[in-house]
Amino acid sequence: MITPHRLSVKFYFEELSVDAESFIPVFHRWIREDVVPNELLLDVADYKHILDGPAILLVGHEADYVIDFTDGKPGLLYVRKRDLGADLSNALDTTLSQALNGVKLTESDVELQGKLKLRTDGATIVLLDRLNYPNAASNGDGVNTAASAEAQLSDSLAALFGADATVARVDNDAREPLTFELRAPSAPDVDTLLSQLGTGN
Amino acid sequence: MSNIGWKDVLTDDMPVDLAHEIDIFEGQMELMGQGKLDEKVFAETRLRRGVYGQRYDNGQRHDGFESRELDFDEADRIKGPDTLWHAPGMQRIKVPGGGLSPEQLDVLAQVADEYSDGILHITTRQDIQLHFVHIEDTPDMMRRLAAVGITTREACGNSVRNVTCCHLSGVCRTEVFDATPYSEAFAQFLLGHDDVQDFGRKFKPAFSGCESEACGLVMMHDIGYLAQVREVDGKLKRGFKVFVGGGLGTVPHQAKVLSEFTSEEEMLPLVQAVARVFARLGEKRNRNRARIKFLVAKLGIDEFRRLVEEERKTLPHDDRWTAYLDTLPQYEEKPAKPPTFLNGQVHSAEFNQWFETNVYSQRQEGYSVVTVNLPLGDLTSKQTWELADVARKYVGDNVRATVEQNIVLRWVSDSDLPSLYEELKAIGLGDSGAGTIVDITACPGTDTCKLGIASSRGLAGELRTRLTAKSASLPDAIKDLKIKISGCFNSCGQHHVSDIGFFGNSRRSGNFKMPHFQVVLGGRWRDNAGSYGLAVGAVPSKTVPEVVDIITNRYIDERAKGETFQDWIGRIGKKEARGMIQPFMQLPAFEQEPDYFSDWGDPRVFSLGDIGIGECAGEVVSLFSMEISPAESEAFEAQIALDENDPARADALAYSSMLKAARALVRTQFLDVGDSPDRIVEEFKSRFFDTELFFDQYAKGKFGQYLLDRHQNPNPNPDNDSAHRLIEEALLFIEATHACESKVGGNVLVEI
Repeated sequence: MITPHRLSVKFYFEELSVDAESFIPVFHRWIREDVVPNELLLDVADYKHILDGPAILLVGHEADYVIDFTDGKPGLLYVRKRDLGADLSNALDTTLSQALNGVKLTESDVELQGKLKLRTDGATIVLLDRLNYPNAASNGDGVNTAASAEAQLSDSLAALFGADATVARVDNDAREPLTFELRAPSAPDVDTLLSQLGTGN
Repeated sequence: MSNIGWKDVLTDDMPVDLAHEIDIFEGQMELMGQGKLDEKVFAETRLRRGVYGQRYDNGQRHDGFESRELDFDEADRIKGPDTLWHAPGMQRIKVPGGGLSPEQLDVLAQVADEYSDGILHITTRQDIQLHFVHIEDTPDMMRRLAAVGITTREACGNSVRNVTCCHLSGVCRTEVFDATPYSEAFAQFLLGHDDVQDFGRKFKPAFSGCESEACGLVMMHDIGYLAQVREVDGKLKRGFKVFVGGGLGTVPHQAKVLSEFTSEEEMLPLVQAVARVFARLGEKRNRNRARIKFLVAKLGIDEFRRLVEEERKTLPHDDRWTAYLDTLPQYEEKPAKPPTFLNGQVHSAEFNQWFETNVYSQRQEGYSVVTVNLPLGDLTSKQTWELADVARKYVGDNVRATVEQNIVLRWVSDSDLPSLYEELKAIGLGDSGAGTIVDITACPGTDTCKLGIASSRGLAGELRTRLTAKSASLPDAIKDLKIKISGCFNSCGQHHVSDIGFFGNSRRSGNFKMPHFQVVLGGRWRDNAGSYGLAVGAVPSKTVPEVVDIITNRYIDERAKGETFQDWIGRIGKKEARGMIQPFMQLPAFEQEPDYFSDWGDPRVFSLGDIGIGECAGEVVSLFSMEISPAESEAFEAQIALDENDPARADALAYSSMLKAARALVRTQFLDVGDSPDRIVEEFKSRFFDTELFFDQYAKGKFGQYLLDRHQNPNPNPDNDSAHRLIEEALLFIEATHACESKVGGNVLVEI
């Protein structure tokens, strides 16, 4: 399937005992120390004044890392914007490995260590491409892209997160991007996931 | 899957001219990528489509220790002088009068989450800005916006910027009449008008319905219109008191009265005459003196007025000057619901507090305007389509952005107010305090602006948090004070016209620089930005919250009964005012107060190393260069059409590209050539062909003859061969046009 314009994945916090503002110096340091492989980090944007939104953004050229409180559910949102790969499957691999790398960096950061934990047994995946992946029953030409995407995501994610992993399309507003929920009760830890994706240490 | 793009999907939804303009811009991007377009010309071209630069787009960023290179791919590819192609930028979206429909909000939300960081930012001129946008996403973004009637044309650059209009126009209790349809006609008339393409700087218009309110802030605009009614020959006539030459910036000017009364019939010709005088006599090379306020100051308002009146007499008649008047009787806003009343119900304290600050009772009984108080002018994509749904349910299309970076819902039926409040609260948009001391205005500052010195948004966020926390106990005397903050002296945060204003600067302490804010006191927001404040001194950024407390407490203690903040500042004088902040002007050493050496919301050690060159400034580009560029783009498009086996379209585009090139050349001598192909060719022939100015040393008149032949003998059924030939001829004609312009020496300059 075609590469979406953007693809995002959000992992949720299991514990979070620091406020959003604490991520600002951390993200600035990440930029200074160039800690993310294969990505150019640019700046930090502070939107903590917005209720239940993207509070702090680490803005990059290829991707953004967001401490996101949308719908009152705090998590680390990774938005892949460029160089996603040749197709949806590649895009998913790239996005997941970089997002999981972000999870690992966050949990192990010297200033954040022990103050937060992200869970891998669930995630939200969004295809930010209303042209190629409309959030509709069909594309108008009878093709159900959403169903095809769901099938592909299910296959890819089950292979990674365990056979009992399920992917379900979120019944959201048609104006919102096509969104899926991953449930993975037997999900391995971050290192194992990264290793399976071929990007672990 | 398919290669179908937004261009194909939206073909039938976009106005043809808008769609074509976007295609041309995309063609210019392609040419820039191929190194076939001058970088300065392209920079001004994209600015005139609202595609603006952003901080760090020169590929350098100071990380608190040193300035480091940002290693973008294709580092030698640029989109303007010292501006890297791949660096993210800002997209400004023009919203005339701030008017938005729910459908437009939906699309704005969608383009924000697909192309930017998912945040929509309302500006102090009723625009919407999206940040961190890649230039390659802009054509599709523009198409999606065009499909719902939004253009980004002339949102930046040396052009007529967004036409602002009071957000209460039409429902205001004190207005003379509704200025909205006039501001819309004005915006439509000047958009892309020939006479506004050759300004030395930007030109900002505003419309107001009443004199004593803040309304449209006409006194601080390049041109301002204040609604008036006069009796002429026994009949009441609508018109405007017209102001010109106002502006903030580093050197604020109060506008002067150009005309005590300009009738509605004369509104458009008058501004056209002003535009011509400004284009002809305004400064072009020195950007610091290129706004119209400097021309008015230099000539004096009497001489400026005389020149405008003379110019008016020479203008060729245009039916559009008065055509819009026929549409005025049909102009009306339709409430979504019938009027009702909010009687006798008991409401929560929270609702009552919100009602007190965020609800304005319209002059139409049973209706109110609700202000959605947006923190720092921001809302998320999700909030935007949720707000669109709220609008659909309660007010329909009656939504406007405001110059205080908020959104208003007009024509709310009064009994709906409690449920509307609950729905706004549920989507995080139920903050009270609109228009009060907590509702702080701030420009983007160092967050994203290349010119920002200090963090205006960081400071605004901090003050908002602190003041909101104690808002319930704030004395009435200061509740309605205005705080406005700019990140530098350029005044985008409109600090000159607030009670307490700040603009960013810096001071040195030892070997380190410290972010500071200049304190500006006593500006007047009311009376259409009636007077400017007094700069009393600069204080470290981190002391500003304390400075605000000191100033407001002293005002509470010392003010006479009924004395306004402006009057109090005027009474105590500059020396006393400065005395209040003097204790904060002693700068500690880095070792004593390291926190003072970083800015709000930014832990990096403060530096001025990230300041770049503003894109309103700098380069000088000829009008010819600006106008030949779309011709080149069309010739390029013609080649694509031929590749797509569409010879008829290729033929039409090649011919159109020659016409555009000829027109650009003719306009170096004769600005009023207009758009008629016959007229363009006639003028080209008499001025350049018959005079042999266009002739090549060896080819003689051959290249010019290409245009004359195609114009006289269009091919009714072009095939691939004939279209290919015409494209070749068009390319040669455009080259010859460049050569001729160089030889003759066009002298009309544009500064970007």
